Amino acid sequence: QSILTVCFSVGYSAVALNHVIDFKEKKQEIIKPVSPSELFPSLPIVQGTSKRIKVLTRLTLVVSDPSHCNLLRSTSANIRLYDIIAVFPKTEKLFHIACTTLDVDLVCINVTEKLPFYFRRPPVNMAIDRGIYFELLYTPAIKDSTMRRYTISNAISLMQICKGKNIVISSAAERPLELRGPYDVANLGLLFGLSEGEAKAAVSTNCRAAMLHGETRKSACGVVYTVKKPRQVEEEETAVPACKKAKTQ
Amino acid sequence: AAAFERRVLRRAAEHHYLRVRLELPDGGARPNAAQFKQLVVTALRELHGEVGAALPVDVLIYEEKTLSAILRVISSGFVKLWSALTLLGFYQNRRCAFRVLQTSPFLLALSGNSRELVL
Repeated sequence: QSILTVCFSVGYSAVALNHVIDFKEKKQEIIKPVSPSELFPSLPIVQGTSKRIKVLTRLTLVVSDPSHCNLLRSTSANIRLYDIIAVFPKTEKLFHIACTTLDVDLVCINVTEKLPFYFRRPPVNMAIDRGIYFELLYTPAIKDSTMRRYTISNAISLMQICKGKNIVISSAAERPLELRGPYDVANLGLLFGLSEGEAKAAVSTNCRAAMLHGETRKSACGVVYTVKKPRQVEEEETAVPACKKAKTQ
Repeated sequence: AAAFERRVLRRAAEHHYLRVRLELPDGGARPNAAQFKQLVVTALRELHGEVGAALPVDVLIYEEKTLSAILRVISSGFVKLWSALTLLGFYQNRRCAFRVLQTSPFLLALSGNSRELVL
């Protein structure tokens, strides 16, 4: 809770709380997320605007086996309570599956170890088309110097393949001191090889787009759209009663 | 109508100024000015090596009570300094964090902060 207070004072307008589920252990059940209203009875207002800060919930699945992905397809009631779903693939096959077929919002890129697989262009391009974002963490870079090297090297190899599109930089902060302000994080994006506009987008617009992607995933079951039909020329002069006019569906 | 000419100067400022605050939550000894400068140079060395540590950084004003300072750096090294301050985690094995409050290529702009306006 103290982390959230610091977030608000530093100037973020939306925060997501993360639960990590690891499938290596035997019994794993998806627990209900902590509702934000329990933590804060009334959220403070964002600096400069008159809206309140949003607190969302997020689930991260650490997958190392294709059978773990079945959980996403199962309509477990608790999964639907989370706003954003992220997947952390550990092998190249899973990365490919996550980019192309899985129904997630974010794909986490490991920053704490050397990547066991290289990024390839086809799955990355498909993910960009589908609207999936790649996520990089920056808190390990604050703790340890070896992690700093891995973070920067993994980020640079990702940039080479995806050309800086669809990147989200986030913190996995466990203490309020590990958090950094939004402009500081955008500056880190410059270190990773993004251009200035892309770096700022990685903290602001891409994150908002990922949030909206999560909302559409939660809500959309089908799409109805209307198409204008060309009007047929009426031969008779008598007025056609309204119920007989062609209904456009 | 008087004719006027508009000149846009890009990257003309030599130095960039940053107002930073060091957060040290545990109640230990506070660094004095020399130790603060040493901390900044250490941060640069950890991230950007010897070349980064050789960057001409000056501490113009340092307040020990609030641990806030105004730094001046040459414009080409601005990104390096800011990223080094962001990624600094420890001061003498104590957890710390740098909060960058304002940055500007002009020193006068650091005097007013619209975020601390009390309306």
